Formats: sequence, C-alpha cells, structure tokens
Amino acid sequence: MSTEAFAWSILLIVIVLNSLISIYGIVYRRSLVKKLISLTMLSDTVFVIFIMIGYRIVYPSVPPIFTSLTSEDLEYLRQHAVDPLPQALVLTGIVIGMAVNALIAFGIIQAYKLQGTTDARKLVEAALKEVPEE
Amino acid sequence: MDRYLVLIVLLVFTIISALVLAWLNLLNPPTTIKTLGLTYIENTYFGPYSSMSPEAVTAIVWDYRGLDTVYETAVFFLAIVGGLSVFRGVKTRASTMKGIGLTGIAKTSTKIIAVMIVGASASIALHGHLTPGGGFQGGSTLAVAFLLIIPVFSVYSLLNMNITSEKLIATRGIALTAIGIVALLPVLKNLPLVSNISFYPSHIAGMLTSGSLFFYNLFEYIAVASGFTAVFIYLSLAGVESEEK
Amino acid sequence: MILTILLLVFSSLLSLVFVYLAVTEKNLLKAIGFSAGQSIAYSIILHVFAATDIVLTYIAVSVGIYSAVLVYVISKTEKYEV
Repeated sequence: MSTEAFAWSILLIVIVLNSLISIYGIVYRRSLVKKLISLTMLSDTVFVIFIMIGYRIVYPSVPPIFTSLTSEDLEYLRQHAVDPLPQALVLTGIVIGMAVNALIAFGIIQAYKLQGTTDARKLVEAALKEVPEE
Repeated sequence: MDRYLVLIVLLVFTIISALVLAWLNLLNPPTTIKTLGLTYIENTYFGPYSSMSPEAVTAIVWDYRGLDTVYETAVFFLAIVGGLSVFRGVKTRASTMKGIGLTGIAKTSTKIIAVMIVGASASIALHGHLTPGGGFQGGSTLAVAFLLIIPVFSVYSLLNMNITSEKLIATRGIALTAIGIVALLPVLKNLPLVSNISFYPSHIAGMLTSGSLFFYNLFEYIAVASGFTAVFIYLSLAGVESEEK
Repeated sequence: MILTILLLVFSSLLSLVFVYLAVTEKNLLKAIGFSAGQSIAYSIILHVFAATDIVLTYIAVSVGIYSAVLVYVISKTEKYEV
C-alpha cells in the first residue's frame, strides 16, 4: 500500500460522489437557481477528471512550459512535464461553459419576471394552465 | 442535524473505501504521459512541427487545435448573443439616474485594485505565448475588474462614462472579426486555414511573438472581457425597469 | 512529495464537504458561498496537478464571475428555496 495510491483513490471516490450529489441537485431540487449551482459544480468535476487524466506522478511534476529555450530543458520536460492536451481542452471549456451558464441565468430571471416564481414544479403547472383547452 | 450526520457518513465511507482500494493496490497513478502529449511537448518549440512558442498549452489552443478553438469562439459568441437577446427591451443608455455607490474608503481602494487588475490581466494575456496565460485567462481576469466597479460605483457611473453595453458588444464583434481575419489570411497564400509559422513571422523586431499566437491572444482578450462586461451590465440593469414603474 | 499528497487528500475531502453543503442548503445565498468554497478546493487540486493555465482561468471565472452572476440572479428573484 502506497500513499500515492491512497490519495489517488480518495480523489477518484470524491469525484464519483461529487458527480452523484450534483446530479441529485440537478434532478431533485426545486429551485432553478439551485439547479444552476449544481450544474456548475458538475461541470467543474468533469474538468477535474480531464486534468487528472493528464497528470503523472513524478517528483517534481512541472507544467509543460519551457523556462529556458535549451535542449536540456526539453529533456527535463520530457521526464517531468504533465500532458498539455487536456489542459488546452479544459481551458476553452471553462470560458464557454461560463457563457452558457450566463445564458441560463438570463433565462431564470426572465422566467421569474413572467411567472413570479423560480420553483420548477410551479413553473410547469403554470405553463400547463396556459395551454388552451381544445 | 440530520444533514451533518449524512456528511460524516459520506466522509467516513470515502476514507475507508480509499484505504481498502489502496490496500488492494487496485488504483495506481500513472508515471508516464500519453505519446500524443509527449509529441506536443517535443514539437512546441523545437522539432519539425514547431509553433515557436515555449508554452505548450497556448500552442495547442491556437495552433495545433486552432480550428477547434475558432469554433468554440463561435459558440461563445452565440451564447452571449442569446443571453442578451432575452433582455432586448432593457434601457442601457446613460440616464438621469445616478447611483450612490459605497463609501469613499471602498471607492478609493477599488480604484487602486481595479488598476492593478487591469495591469495583471494585460500581462497574463500579452505574455500568453511565453508564460502561463493567454487570451481566455486575461479576459476573464479583466472582467473581474468591471465586476468590482459595478457594485462599488453603481452601474450608472459606468454608463455615464460612456461604457454602454452597445459599445461593448460592438467591441466584441470587432475583436471576433479580427480573430476570423487572422485565421483566414493564410488562405491567400494557398496555405491551410489557421496556419501559424508558415505564414506569420515568429519574431517581430527581435521579440518572440510566436507568429499568430500573439494576435489571437490579444483579440480573444478583448472579446472575452467586453462580452462578460456586457453581461454584467445587462444583469445589473435587468430588474430596474419594472421597479421604476 | 508528502506535501503534495496531503494537499490532494485535504482538498478532495474539502470539496466533498462543500458540494454536499451547497446542494442541501435552503438559503441560496449560503449555497453560493459553499459553491465558491468548492471552487477554491478544486483550484488547489488543479494547482497540485500542475495546471497553471487552468488555475488562472478557473479562479477568476469560478470564484469571481459565477458567484457574482448567481448573486445578481438571486437579488432579482427569490432568496430561499422552498
């Protein structure tokens, strides 16, 4: 049993639990704002999984950035650097996700203006009432 | 109290199952990275497919996977436009209303901090091809400066300074168009879309600018910062209209 | 090396606590505070994983902008979840 394996297992279990709790929040909580908070936490968890895939446990592990433009530095990075590809994918994902969540926030404010509530079930009831009966 | 009991059960469950997993030696962290990642590290400055940038992440974002990022920027554009179109009717012109804002102490310290944030964000964005950072990072940092100014000085001070959301959206449109032009220009010389080193010079006046990476970072910085600031202005004005009536 | 592992374990457990509290909290303003705490825990994890670029974006977006947008939404709508 190594301490690295222990830390790695803790992180994996926490990620699974965090995703499950966030999905519970998205599905079962009534308030739309609470659903939005859970959604941001779920997407953050997914980003952590991505970064975790690119990590390697060497001491010290450094970011994939040259500090001096020499071939010794290249050799050092080859031994110690983490994977740059997941970082590049997550980087755009964070900013785009932020813009999409701002769109959802606008939608919540508009729903409150129209119906006077942010409770998902009441919103559905109000929407069903407005359907004209045949 | 029930809530905290469940929390303690969750924590104990996590630690015990992690101990079991570690004892069984099922999960071990990797000690190598994938060959693809290694290829990017080897090629980012040296190597045959160099993009002349010491920063591998920025090189992937704007060169190796440049087309992906251009499309993601299009999604960013649509998301912000969709959000703003919900509030089409909100008045965002400079009005006679004057916000009070917070006390003088808060205003003075915010002035100092806002200037520092602007400096730091510009350094993050414009050195993005040399050090950690880039257009996305610098832009979201700059948006925090406006985020501080809006509650402390009130949103009307921004509007009276002629920073309206229409102008910000126009700025964002210009910056995104510039990104498109930088991506399209290599086509004129029969090179593929989003070419970097084969079309743009890697050094300008002796400074390493890594070809097109510098321009992409600069324009993305402007686009992200102005887009988010426009969102904040709309959000802080959204409910005011109905209260006035 | 032992510091890396300690930071990883500590911030993982911290994020679990904050996520659970944020989802079960009735007062939405408090829930936003817990969500920001979860973001800080995650940014410690990202720092341990040597993702400097991500940390620069994540801190600004997740602790600053998300919280502010959500507080704006709450100030326009309801403060408590029924």
